[in-house]
Amino acid sequence: MRGAAARDILSIGRWEVRRTATSMSREVVPVAILLFVLLIFATGYVQQTGMHLQDGMFTAGTDSPEVASLLSSDPRFVAFLSSDETLLQAADPDLLFTRGALSVAETDKGSAAANAIQTDYVSYLTAVYNREGDLFAAYPLWIDLQYVESELDFTATQSGQQIGSLRRMGASLIPDRPVVELPTPSPELGASKEELRAALVASEGDESAVARYTDTLSSGPDLGDYATPSQITPSLPFDAIVLIFVFIFPLYFTSQFFMMSIMNERIDRRGEILLSTPARPWVVIAGKMLPYLVLMVAVTAILTIHTGATFAVIVALVPVIFFFLAGALLIGMTSRSFKELSFISIFFSTIATSYLFFPSIFAHIHVISLISPLTLVIYDLEGGGFTLGDYFYSTFLFWATSAIIFAICIVNFREERLFSLHPLRMKMREYVAALIPASHPFAALFGLTICTIPFVLMAQMMGLVVLFNLPLPLSLVLLVVIAAFIEEWAKSVGIFAVYSRRPSFLTWKNLILCCLAVMAGFFIGEKLLLFATLAQISESLFGAALFSSLHVLWLPLTLHFTGAFVVTAILKVAGPRSYPVALLGGTAVHSIYNLFILTGGI
Amino acid sequence: MGWHHVGTIAKKEIRSLGTEKTIVFAILLQIFIAMFSSFLLVGLAAMYDPDALAEYSTTRDPIAYTGTASPLLNQLKEEGDFRVYEMDFSTAIAALEERKISAVVWVPDTAPDAEQPIKITLYTIQNDIRSSVVNTKLKDVFLAYEADLREVRGDRLTAPPVDLGLPNEAPRTNFFEFVYGLLIPLLIFMPAIISAALIIDFITEEFQHNTIETLISTPASFSDMVWGKVLACFVIVPVQSGAWLILLMANGIAIQGTMPILLHVSAGALGMILLSAFCALHYRERTNAQFIFSTALVVVIMAALALPGNPANLIVRLSVGAAGPAHWLVLGGMAVLLIMAIAVLDRYARKVGRDYTGGR
Repeated sequence: MRGAAARDILSIGRWEVRRTATSMSREVVPVAILLFVLLIFATGYVQQTGMHLQDGMFTAGTDSPEVASLLSSDPRFVAFLSSDETLLQAADPDLLFTRGALSVAETDKGSAAANAIQTDYVSYLTAVYNREGDLFAAYPLWIDLQYVESELDFTATQSGQQIGSLRRMGASLIPDRPVVELPTPSPELGASKEELRAALVASEGDESAVARYTDTLSSGPDLGDYATPSQITPSLPFDAIVLIFVFIFPLYFTSQFFMMSIMNERIDRRGEILLSTPARPWVVIAGKMLPYLVLMVAVTAILTIHTGATFAVIVALVPVIFFFLAGALLIGMTSRSFKELSFISIFFSTIATSYLFFPSIFAHIHVISLISPLTLVIYDLEGGGFTLGDYFYSTFLFWATSAIIFAICIVNFREERLFSLHPLRMKMREYVAALIPASHPFAALFGLTICTIPFVLMAQMMGLVVLFNLPLPLSLVLLVVIAAFIEEWAKSVGIFAVYSRRPSFLTWKNLILCCLAVMAGFFIGEKLLLFATLAQISESLFGAALFSSLHVLWLPLTLHFTGAFVVTAILKVAGPRSYPVALLGGTAVHSIYNLFILTGGI
Repeated sequence: MGWHHVGTIAKKEIRSLGTEKTIVFAILLQIFIAMFSSFLLVGLAAMYDPDALAEYSTTRDPIAYTGTASPLLNQLKEEGDFRVYEMDFSTAIAALEERKISAVVWVPDTAPDAEQPIKITLYTIQNDIRSSVVNTKLKDVFLAYEADLREVRGDRLTAPPVDLGLPNEAPRTNFFEFVYGLLIPLLIFMPAIISAALIIDFITEEFQHNTIETLISTPASFSDMVWGKVLACFVIVPVQSGAWLILLMANGIAIQGTMPILLHVSAGALGMILLSAFCALHYRERTNAQFIFSTALVVVIMAALALPGNPANLIVRLSVGAAGPAHWLVLGGMAVLLIMAIAVLDRYARKVGRDYTGGR
């Protein structure tokens, strides 16, 4: 039996490849090859000449040839060299260097220009000092950066203490616990003069075009933790970030082909042939997906070899590949037209890419970066590698959400779903409602709620990534409100789907039972996830905002029940059109409760 | 060419965008990207330039100074960003672990004019955004101390750099450059790219759903249909880009030269739309057309960015008011190219239309 399914999958896969090869007519391949050659040329050319995006933003006038030569090395400046001061002033430049002094125009543009020339000057100084014979006269001060782990206990939030560095005035600096005597650090540098020089010179070239946009002078030398004062701010791993795009782009592209292939089955009802085969839906889906999966893994492997990464990168990207394929399948099955397909797929990939990409920018700064598998890729590219715990932690959500999306698609891979042209929202409702059989509505709601947990967490993580760098009280409040909204939505979506199909179902008794079912599902799902991996996030301050309620049993149960009850009761009283209002009501109750807990019940 | 038919078809397509709510997705997408960019900017600023967030970071971080007394101690006290406590090393580390202080500085007893460098050890809390902020504030103090030490050891330098009268301090995060030099061209050009992808869907949908016959049986000709779709995609570009400009200005980002900016974006958008319409007419199938067009678009964008005075660069310069009248020349050149491209596409559309109707 299993052998038969495998044979079917392979033959459907082969058929998919053949069909694509014939429809990718002889016209496409030569053009594509030509374009790829051109692309390689264009990329090489841009790398040599640099991007001309910010050329000539600023103007500067000077009477000194040295300053003029410094300015001419920076394409952002249009520079005038003249010994006639009135002539220079007449041009009204952003910067004016005359007689060894600098005057800056009193505009935002002027100060930005001053900042730009400052960057150039610092790079010039660095280049001179790095080649100084007596390196320790040029760099007399070295900083050794050391980090200590600080543990944060959850009870602090519940007893109303503020965490973070905001110490109250007058509070004691004496540690609460006994002090362990530590050896004082050695005054010796652990590296030779020439090793330090080599690292300094190597870090000069890092000021890439990308780095210029944020003007962050990046990348200290790779000497463990030694840095000169100008290098102690954390550096963005720019090179790795650019490489990440190289890894992600082909995945996005290939998943587009899969999406179109599913969509094409639905045009002209061609898919009926597939549906009428004796093969089960999951076999059909797996077979159609197989070629794309193989292609993605192969492309990733080729890139891995090219970039000199290890094969651990492939292992890190496999869940991302499945996630893209699952999204492509769902979008291909639900879109009504090409336009809709385009927009939803662009939307999906933008959000997925942001989720993957932005945390990885903070790869060396904050543990939050580990929610993206791409951070693992950065670690690998930079030669650090990652642990099994890191892997589990950053890919778990991708595995879980992909599996659930595939399950939803397999259940709905039926004629009346594939060929209906219902609007998107209605279709989503149908997809969800299909998961809740009329015979066991409460058990299904319970299971469905457990399955929404990974999505809820992903959405909350997205919120966290966006918010964690805002100033403190604001970011916490926003995070609590957004987290509450997402949770209420996830809890009520199943009930709403059933209710909009069969309004009579939602009697007051059933409403209470539904709320109990989602309460139990949500609680157990959260517990399971905590077991999974979340220790790392919950160690940081924001963990307290997301998971503080998990330490006392009856509190979260009451909360989940109350939130769901508020939403469904408003729904029942005011009808299905009131769903958005109902959600906001539930969110308000939920947020107030969470803030109350977090501030320790003022 | 029947202008009347072209207008009718353009109206129909724009209506379909409205009823299918696809345009809502497009707008949501753009807002999402803009939101993320600004959040990212705030995040990076917090990381690299706490002064940029001065209004939020009014706290004076408590830090511990341990080890030998040195001029650095006074510099830290004068800084005003810190409350400096002289402590015993082990006690300071324990206090740091309990977050009672934000950082510990250990200073060895190396003489300022020694042969060896002075190695200061800095302890901060791992994985804490606050630590990054403290680091950035400390950086200024360390830089000042480094400059003093360089002064002391100055006679040992063999080739001192030329003094340009600029202060030797770390440059600040350049918001201005990020907003005007990257965010604005990105946001302004996004509608153009979206429209170019849209025209492929408009055209291939007719071929793949076999609705061409229905269309041709109306008084409108095949090329009227193509131009109607092009027009529909084209008119929404300046509207969206203009909306972006208004939004940015409402957020206090002054933008000069709005009219020329919209002209440049419209020209660029029309170029992309004509290219993608050509792909769509040639392949008549969405997968292939999208594939070839997106690859071609990447090549075109790369090549354009490698040229000085490309439209994106002109938009940057126009927005900060640093563009001379030369940009009109580029616009004129673009217009000539576009007119030629329109002529080519029109001929091609007529040919495809003839093949399609005459060839059966």
